[in-house]
Amino acid sequence: MSTVRYKTSPDPVSTDGRDIDRKIAELAGEAADQQASGAAGKHIEKQAGTWTQLPQPHAADPTYYDRPLLNESVWGWAIPTYYYVGGLAGASLALGAALELQHAAKFDRLIRRCHWIGFLGCCVSGALLVYDLGKPQRFLNMLRVFRPTSPMNVGAWILSGTSGASAAAFFFRQAGYAAGLFGMALATYTGVLVSNTAVPLWNASRKVLPVLFAASAVTSAGSLFELFDQDEDEARVTRAFGSVGKLAEIAASVIAEQHASQVARVGRPFQRGFSGFLWRTAAVLTAGSVVMNLLPRPTRGKRLASGILGTVGSLLMRFALEQAGNASARDPRASFHSQREPLAQ
Amino acid sequence: MPGQPQAAPVKGFFTDTTLCIGCKACEVACKQWNQLPDDGFLFTGMSYDNTAHLGASTWRHVAFIERPAPLHPQNEGAFSWLFSSDVCKHCARAGCLEACPTGAIIRTEFGSVYVQPDVCNGCGYCIVSCPFGVIDRREEDGRAWKCTLCYDRLRADMQPACAKSCPTESIQFGNLEDLRKQARERVEKLHSQGMREAYLYGESAASQPGTEGLHAFFLLVDKPEVYNLPPDPIVPTKTVKDAWTAMAAGALGIALAALGAAFFAHKNGAQS
Ligand code: SF4
Ligand code: SF4
Repeated sequence: MSTVRYKTSPDPVSTDGRDIDRKIAELAGEAADQQASGAAGKHIEKQAGTWTQLPQPHAADPTYYDRPLLNESVWGWAIPTYYYVGGLAGASLALGAALELQHAAKFDRLIRRCHWIGFLGCCVSGALLVYDLGKPQRFLNMLRVFRPTSPMNVGAWILSGTSGASAAAFFFRQAGYAAGLFGMALATYTGVLVSNTAVPLWNASRKVLPVLFAASAVTSAGSLFELFDQDEDEARVTRAFGSVGKLAEIAASVIAEQHASQVARVGRPFQRGFSGFLWRTAAVLTAGSVVMNLLPRPTRGKRLASGILGTVGSLLMRFALEQAGNASARDPRASFHSQREPLAQ
Repeated sequence: MPGQPQAAPVKGFFTDTTLCIGCKACEVACKQWNQLPDDGFLFTGMSYDNTAHLGASTWRHVAFIERPAPLHPQNEGAFSWLFSSDVCKHCARAGCLEACPTGAIIRTEFGSVYVQPDVCNGCGYCIVSCPFGVIDRREEDGRAWKCTLCYDRLRADMQPACAKSCPTESIQFGNLEDLRKQARERVEKLHSQGMREAYLYGESAASQPGTEGLHAFFLLVDKPEVYNLPPDPIVPTKTVKDAWTAMAAGALGIALAALGAAFFAHKNGAQS
């Protein structure tokens, strides 16, 4: 990989950004095999951005030219989508196991659906995670160690376990119970994963995010089932399950915002900018969905509306959280203030 | 710790920012020795700093601070220059290392924190787990990179390229214990010469409990924020127990919601 520089000069050079003459030098340094195209480092450029206003020195509340302190996450759309899909799969499997306990033939179709959504959700989850890796062909390295200090490593094991158990449930119904237990972990560990970071907004809401993710997973599952053809018994289950999730999701998101806003600068992305807009919209959609659930005289139309609103709402919530975290990572004062004003607890 | 190589004395950097003249020899030496590619030529408009930040291909970064405040012995009235060469801190409790799910990031026999490029799969978790914004992923490459404390040079009994090239000995390399002693003496000397602002940043677990001390620590003369250093960084795993507890509560919540919904629908529904 290389680009041509000084194109208009009589002596253009082709370089990968190292400017090493391979005829006389050997590439043997620690970073010798770092792939580089020779094009400008987009990441640094994006981070540096352009000033719209000259940063003013601020003796009481200084920053380094208002530049970010932290490196913002490199995760793309696949990761918040995975939070949604993994949550959906996990909560479905948990519901499947709970229905199994009732030993009622009328729930058989719903249980099968739970297992299918759980299994397919695990497959899609794996694909999304591999897709987002910088080196997708090395995805199996996730399982070369067991490392409890890394929620991502623990999560890789949880996802493997859930996949296995949900596949087994097609052959032995008893495996559905194991899948349900794994599913509960799958739907919630992602909350620990984002909390366990230096990103001020995520870290400040660490006592709530796993609960928020749990609630959102229940919302996702409840809402998706509402989009299927359902008989009255099935509809009763998913409406009850979904509306509990939706109410809990709204409550948890309010509390998460409160926790983050204990330091004003940290919680700001929840209130302002694009992330704030997504965050509010998600809450409104989820609220709309639960209203559809609780209106008297359930109809098919209300059920579908609830399913769509709830699905979009919980998906949007994951993206809002991702955006809000990135915005707080870009704001050096979010980190500085959160470290200067230690919470009185 | 199991699997840890037999420990040689722990090595580290002491960066005395009062000696730095902003020549960027360290940046150049690092790029050359490690054969790092450039990361674009950017005009930032921030004083003489066009490097901007540490990243996947920038393992030393000199900050240029034009400060509207006097500093003895710079005789510039209400203005002074501060320079500081930033680097990976090789934290005693390293956020990147604890977060890495593949075990690509290891603690070496010199006590430094090293990313094995043949193991890293580019998941990006270390990037959000470093409280200093050091490690980063290069887009074309797909893996995470940062300062290695010149692991290859240390193995060959040489000092890191940046320290070797620093013309003012602003960057000092050595045994961590010796560096700490030297640094304390230096602060005392500066104090006696009238530079009362001088202090050490991250030199011990006591002064920075959140990271349990840095193997690359600094002598500063203004707030850490001025140099784009966090005032009180905490490795995320120190507080993660809160999140695991919340996860247990969340999982329990899912179980209750599922059992409740199933039970309620079964009781209220048509008999089967
Ligand atoms: S400064 Fe960041 S990248 Fe360096 S050892 Fe500490 S946590 Fe890891
Ligand atoms: S990007 Fe590489 S070094 Fe960083 S946490 Fe992931 S596997 Fe480990």
